[in-house]
Amino acid sequence: MLKHLLRNALTAFGLAFLVTTTAVEAQLRDVVSKEVAVGRSEATLRLELSGNGTLEIAFEDGVVLIDGTSVGIFEPGDELEAAWWSLLGQARSLEDGELALMLSDWSVPAELAGELADLAQEVDRALEDALSSFDVTVRGDDATVSMSIGDEGSLLQLLLNSTSRLGLMQRALSGLGGDFALHIDEDVDIPEGTAVDGTLVVIRGDVRIGGEVDGDVVVVDGTLELLEGSRVRGAVRLADARLVRNLGTVDDGLLDLLDEERVLETEIRSEIREELQEELRSQFRRELREASRLEFSDDDDGFSLMAPFRSVFRGVGELFKNLISILVLGLLGAGAVAFAGTKVDTIAETARSAPGRSAMVGLAGSLLLIPVWILGAIALSVSIIGIPVAVVWLPLFPLAACAAGVMGYLAVARNTGEWLADSEYPWTGWIRKSNHIYTIFGGLFGLMFAYMAANVVSIVPFLGFLAGMLIFAGSIVTFFAIQIGFGAVILTRAGKRPEWSTPYDADAAWEEAMEGDIEGVEADVEGATDEAQENDDDA
Amino acid sequence: MTTMRRALSVAVVAAVLAPTLLAAQSWRDVTMSRQIEDNREVRVLVEYAAGHLTVRPTDEGVLYSMNLHYDEDRFEPVADFSGDRLRLGVESIGRGFNVGRGKQSGQLDLELARGIPMELDLEFGAVRADIDLGGLALTELDLSTGASQSTIDISEPNSAVMSAASFEIGAAEFEVRHLGNLNAELIEVDAGVGQVTLDFTGRWQRDARVSIDMGLGALDLRIPEGLGVRLSKDGFLVSLDSEGLVKRGGAYYSLDWLVDDADRKITIDLDAAFGSVVVEWVR
Repeated sequence: MLKHLLRNALTAFGLAFLVTTTAVEAQLRDVVSKEVAVGRSEATLRLELSGNGTLEIAFEDGVVLIDGTSVGIFEPGDELEAAWWSLLGQARSLEDGELALMLSDWSVPAELAGELADLAQEVDRALEDALSSFDVTVRGDDATVSMSIGDEGSLLQLLLNSTSRLGLMQRALSGLGGDFALHIDEDVDIPEGTAVDGTLVVIRGDVRIGGEVDGDVVVVDGTLELLEGSRVRGAVRLADARLVRNLGTVDDGLLDLLDEERVLETEIRSEIREELQEELRSQFRRELREASRLEFSDDDDGFSLMAPFRSVFRGVGELFKNLISILVLGLLGAGAVAFAGTKVDTIAETARSAPGRSAMVGLAGSLLLIPVWILGAIALSVSIIGIPVAVVWLPLFPLAACAAGVMGYLAVARNTGEWLADSEYPWTGWIRKSNHIYTIFGGLFGLMFAYMAANVVSIVPFLGFLAGMLIFAGSIVTFFAIQIGFGAVILTRAGKRPEWSTPYDADAAWEEAMEGDIEGVEADVEGATDEAQENDDDA
Repeated sequence: MTTMRRALSVAVVAAVLAPTLLAAQSWRDVTMSRQIEDNREVRVLVEYAAGHLTVRPTDEGVLYSMNLHYDEDRFEPVADFSGDRLRLGVESIGRGFNVGRGKQSGQLDLELARGIPMELDLEFGAVRADIDLGGLALTELDLSTGASQSTIDISEPNSAVMSAASFEIGAAEFEVRHLGNLNAELIEVDAGVGQVTLDFTGRWQRDARVSIDMGLGALDLRIPEGLGVRLSKDGFLVSLDSEGLVKRGGAYYSLDWLVDDADRKITIDLDAAFGSVVVEWVR
């Protein structure tokens, strides 16, 4: 595979057409900047190399670091550190070429052995890898090719990742002859007043020409800038590249190879489009055939034999959900009556005796819930003591608010149940007013009656509007029931303060139950007793 | 008695701590350099707070070369080159104590490339500076110093035309030699307190204007024979030893200026207070 790639690459580079190689010269990279730092426990060399390369080797606190990565340890004062210090001593006084040569020529000192020798080998390899340039000059009988690669990894990357681009490069380079300079993954600047002999090929780099090129200019995957006064004596070939400024002169014209690519791309796209259209047509035909068949399916979107019964299933399902809700709430209410009956009584009495006030308080309380929650958390968080309380406050406050709402709703349900027990509506005879559990369940049925009626109505076709109205009515009832109940909970401090409820008046209750004057009843009773006594006396 | 005991305790603690503090001082040597690339004009800023500073031109093919000896607990080196800006020197990292320090001073030896056009900005504080800017291609010079002992020499003519050179001197013993080599159109000197010597020798390539604002101190003007000079003085309690100058109207003139025999002429506007100004002619 690798051989295949390499063969393709070499073909693409156009090196194959060159004449027999007679000389290959490798070069060292330029040292753009250097830093030699020597401290109490540190000896560091930092290099900035041409083509954006960098290298940092540090002997620091007994550790050898190459580009920040630890590669081994040394003993301060050992032979390796001495050799490194010696190298840095020479590096301080040398620049650029001499420095690069000295560093690349450095080898593992003979006196080192074992792990220290291995470590020195690592350092030597790092120096050589960083300083070795891929600037290669290939001389033949007729032509010379100089190749410069910005980053040693870029060639491999180019080969491995851009196999599809190699064809484009091959086309870009086809027909070129004579001397040419090849630059891979690096920018090229030809300043005003300078000239390049032969063809200039730049792959993955930006070219800025202010001077003259005595040949063609080929740019692959980059940009070309022709400054004012610049001249290209051959042609300009752009392959996946952009001409960002054209103020110079190009003798043999400009060729954008991607124009051909674009034509090819258009053809491929039209082919794909046709295939896609054909596929869509066949799929559409298939769907039509499937739609024309009656299928037994529960799918909402399709036609099926079960379609007429869907509304029944849906309505019954919703009704069942509401009944479950009544059951759950009723059980909660039963629990509340069993464990906090007095408090439920107080809340229910408050809701009954002051429903308007309770509703207003409930509405205000609902609106203030979130601000109070947030402000409470903030107020608690500003002090160290308050922070643990805030941790409890954040989850418990919403829970307490929900509990208060449910409790209030159940109290209102109880009142509703009592009212239904007194009424003579059908199917309310089972509600026993003396048992709060009955009244709560009855009230829940009453409060949710609209919802359940909507569920039943929704089963019948064409009554969707009526079902919607019933749901709206149920929502209004539920909203006010919750507000009144929540307000009653707040007013009574969860049933602890009965001042808002009307105290139980046994006489009034009896009077109401008997629908008459209790004193008259007593007088009648006394009269009847006296009359019976007289009859006994007469006998 | 209590006071004495307390003082004794402090002395003992100081005696124990002093060597520790001294030992904590850790010196670091750094050599930095950068090759000349396609450098057109570079704006160079050199900042150095305290120590010994030398600046020299170099022909080694580097844009700059810097040798730095500094206390790594208190400073860190700066060598930042981006675009056309080059920033060099050290900057404080605000750590460590000053107690017990100062036995050894830091040093910055800087070499700058000849022939690269530069706008040079030198800012240093309590520094002993030996600076030779001869041969550099300076288009602008801005030198600012605090309490320093500085000698600036332009040993060779500036190969570029300098629009303005500015020297801001705090409390210093300050000497500039061969100002004529600066090739500047305007030279501004703003001195606070101290001894300032301005040596106008060198190769004058153009007429120039010199503005001197002097506070309290002594100003020594060394003027080469043959240079046309017009000196106007404004100040309070300033003595002027104007030997070789002829007063005409409100200004003092050299004979070469008056007979119009000078190749180059400089106009010196002097504003000083509480000091002495001495004009010295040199061959």
